[in-house]
Amino acid sequence: MKNPYLPIPMMVKKAFMETTDRMLRTLELTFQKEEDQKAFEFIPGQFCELSSFGKGEAPFGIASSPTENGSLKFTINRAGMVTTTLHHIEEGEEVGIRGPLGNGYPIDLFKGHNLLVVGGGFAFTTLRSLIAYFLEPEHRSLIREITVLYGARMPGLLLYKEELQEWSKRDDMKVVVTVDVGDQGWKGTVGLVPNVLKEVAPSSEDTYAVVCGPPIMIRFTLPQLKALQFPDERIYTSLERRMKCGVGKCGRCNIGHLYVCKDGPVFSLEQLNILPKEG
Amino acid sequence: MTLKLDKKDFHSFLQNLMNDYELFAPVQVAEGVAVYKKIEHPLEAARFSLNPQKPAKEVFFPQSETMFRYGKVGVKTEVTSTEKVERKRILLGARPCDLQAVSLLDEIFQGREYSDPYYINKRQATTVIGMGCSQPLSTCFCSSMEGGPFSRNHSDIFLIDLGEAYLVEVLTEKGKAFEKNPFFKKATQKDLKAAKSIEKNASNQVGAILSLEGIERKLDQMIESPFWDRVQERCIGCRVCTYLCPTCHCFDIADETLTTKGQRVRNWDSCLSSLYSQETSGHNPRPTNRERTRQRLMHKFNYFPKNVGRIACVGCGRCVLYCPADLDIRETIKEIQKG
Amino acid sequence: MIQEKLRQKARELLESKAVDLVIGFGEGSLPLRVSPVFIRNPHEVDRLVWNSFCRQNLSTYLHKFKSLKIGLVVKGCDSRSVVALSLEKRFKPDQLFLIGVPCQRMVDHRRVKRAVQGEILHVSEQGDELIVEGKDFKTRLNRKDFLYPSCQVCVHRNPVRADLLMGEVVEEFSLLETHPDMKGFLNKGVEERWDYFEKETGRCIRCYACREACPMCYCPECFVDNSNPKWMEQGLSPSDLEFYHIVRAYHQTGRCTACGACERACPMEIRLTYMTEKLNQDVKELFGFETGVDPQASSPLSTFDVEDQQEFIK
Repeated sequence: MKNPYLPIPMMVKKAFMETTDRMLRTLELTFQKEEDQKAFEFIPGQFCELSSFGKGEAPFGIASSPTENGSLKFTINRAGMVTTTLHHIEEGEEVGIRGPLGNGYPIDLFKGHNLLVVGGGFAFTTLRSLIAYFLEPEHRSLIREITVLYGARMPGLLLYKEELQEWSKRDDMKVVVTVDVGDQGWKGTVGLVPNVLKEVAPSSEDTYAVVCGPPIMIRFTLPQLKALQFPDERIYTSLERRMKCGVGKCGRCNIGHLYVCKDGPVFSLEQLNILPKEG
Repeated sequence: MTLKLDKKDFHSFLQNLMNDYELFAPVQVAEGVAVYKKIEHPLEAARFSLNPQKPAKEVFFPQSETMFRYGKVGVKTEVTSTEKVERKRILLGARPCDLQAVSLLDEIFQGREYSDPYYINKRQATTVIGMGCSQPLSTCFCSSMEGGPFSRNHSDIFLIDLGEAYLVEVLTEKGKAFEKNPFFKKATQKDLKAAKSIEKNASNQVGAILSLEGIERKLDQMIESPFWDRVQERCIGCRVCTYLCPTCHCFDIADETLTTKGQRVRNWDSCLSSLYSQETSGHNPRPTNRERTRQRLMHKFNYFPKNVGRIACVGCGRCVLYCPADLDIRETIKEIQKG
Repeated sequence: MIQEKLRQKARELLESKAVDLVIGFGEGSLPLRVSPVFIRNPHEVDRLVWNSFCRQNLSTYLHKFKSLKIGLVVKGCDSRSVVALSLEKRFKPDQLFLIGVPCQRMVDHRRVKRAVQGEILHVSEQGDELIVEGKDFKTRLNRKDFLYPSCQVCVHRNPVRADLLMGEVVEEFSLLETHPDMKGFLNKGVEERWDYFEKETGRCIRCYACREACPMCYCPECFVDNSNPKWMEQGLSPSDLEFYHIVRAYHQTGRCTACGACERACPMEIRLTYMTEKLNQDVKELFGFETGVDPQASSPLSTFDVEDQQEFIK
């Protein structure tokens, strides 16, 4: 019987600050044991529990794509004790991880359709995984048009800036990066995600929308998507809840009869509509 | 096969079991207060007349349990799991309600996607010697919850208290390993008859008085009902009903560390605690006692049935007996059913 | 009859809209027990009862209602909690209407249960007698023999503050000078005291019923739940259990009104009040202070005075 509570060791290969407010730090982790690496198969949208021994665990979406072999990326928002220690961990040090956990994005469902990715703030992590997955040369043909809309409060708070630039140069996808408030160097779009969405959204016909971001952004983005005639079953989002076990046993993260950790974190709006409104 | 065990041999019988097994049984920890505990001496297990405050789930799912130890060696952290169960175990004297509850916990910890080795290993290592409940209380409603004071389900061996002796029924393959126990004798027709009448008596006392028919569907319509305001009003938000509930199984995971060594521990947790669902940001999806009391009842009578097809209440009556505010789940059920 | 008067007054208060809500005691679903009731509709006032089993301190519910005007049924000890909570500014002065009841001292259902063989199915009261019935027994018991420890030593049966008193003022005297358990505890040496404390707290299951039942425990986040700094672990190690109970008792020093709600709520029947009672005695001896008796006097441990003797830091 595999023990789902035992973390496997991974080494911090690279660690760097993503944002100017120094609240978001990305860790690139490499497997220490070959068997662990082999056993670790995931899809975009899944998450892991990262251990800081002595402080505990916290869940993080996997920011890397399964196509980026050999390592896993996590972007960590400093909020509590575990995340604070993960902000201080150095390259060459070890962390424990458990996963992959959760259901991930319904990749197969997206195949053959258009994809609209809407992200805000630091919730862009698993969206990055999803985009990178479909941009992989062998995967690109699985999906038709890709539109990415990503926003942050300020330019300095955008994640994965280099990659965003690379993407925006590609001609097989449309990338719109927006900030609530620009600065001197900012040449891009200024505006809140829901408002910009109105301008840049592709036709809802044959398109799946994936939305991740702070609750306030989600709240205003969903009506926009509805106005654009996206049906609920083609709108997906990834939820966050306080979690402990990650495997549907400890309670606490449930919404109705579903556990965010095990049955989610990715849900369609259609699914969420019939669950109790606990948020 | 039906045997019997004279009460005068009871302690020797326990001693005999303890040679090969770790023995868990109700132990009195204060006058009128008992818990299931590992027995160090046969005399500890002397009293059987009361259903312990703390349910038998604790034998498989301890209130506080180490999951693994860790220690730093250079830059590496060595992790040693404590999931293995070294000795075979016996759970003695558990009531049918508690055992039915264990069968509900099996559904969770066995799980379709993930199994919980800490629970499963203990469960597999354990032979269950159940005990007929000859003196059910007026707060018992097991018969309404697909159980009964003499339900043999989930027992490997079943005892019935005949006064001077216990009638011993061997029910499963696991139980058969004990058939040759030197303290077991053949039961007589008279014993069997006496046991029958005790069983009948007890069963008559616990009528199937509560109707649970359709409660899941009723609750589907009640999520936003003002009913929950009334339920939460009296509740003081302690954890008595969840910790003493034989089916409640929520837990927290925490690290306990001294210097470079430590252990990851799981402890019972309760949906009635405000911190249970509070996120690091301070946001809480269940901000008031209303959402929390609703969660507890919905979990038992709606979510659990949706996921597993069974109601997560066995009618043991502990939450009724020990609630500091005298909330009575039977009345709550009746009110839900009234709609 | 106090019960009749209570209902009458509650009806008046609700009908005249002097209060939005009456919190009192109602029929419990089990014999020897009552359950708090929350009445908003004057037609429901008949749910109110008054008997020897009104064991809870209802002022603990006040923390739930920030804006409603509340009619609260209080015994002597409960009224002291209200006074203490007022001094801690837990509610607006005009938010409460206190319906005071001079207390006849409450009966401990656990003690009664232990006095009979078999389950008690029905109880009634006649004067000082409890008529206790089960399936095949009926006994008359003297209620005085089954009182809660904190009630046996109580000298504040009359509400210290009430907007209206139900029934006659009762004479204040304690049935026991010091409770035998307390006497036993005081007579013990340090090590024996510790052993007793360790044995009692050893069966704690950390359900926090004592904390939640106590009107004075209202911190939004209790020290046991703090994660940063983490004062203690969440398991059942003796040191954590002892730490919890010691600190809980100390947080009550100069604030406890000896209502016994903590002990009555404990499902494991842990003796808790000998500790708080000892602290109450110390506070009385050292500062001449009793919690919630003088509506103007704040707890000595939360006030500063230049005349303070400060002997404790010598």
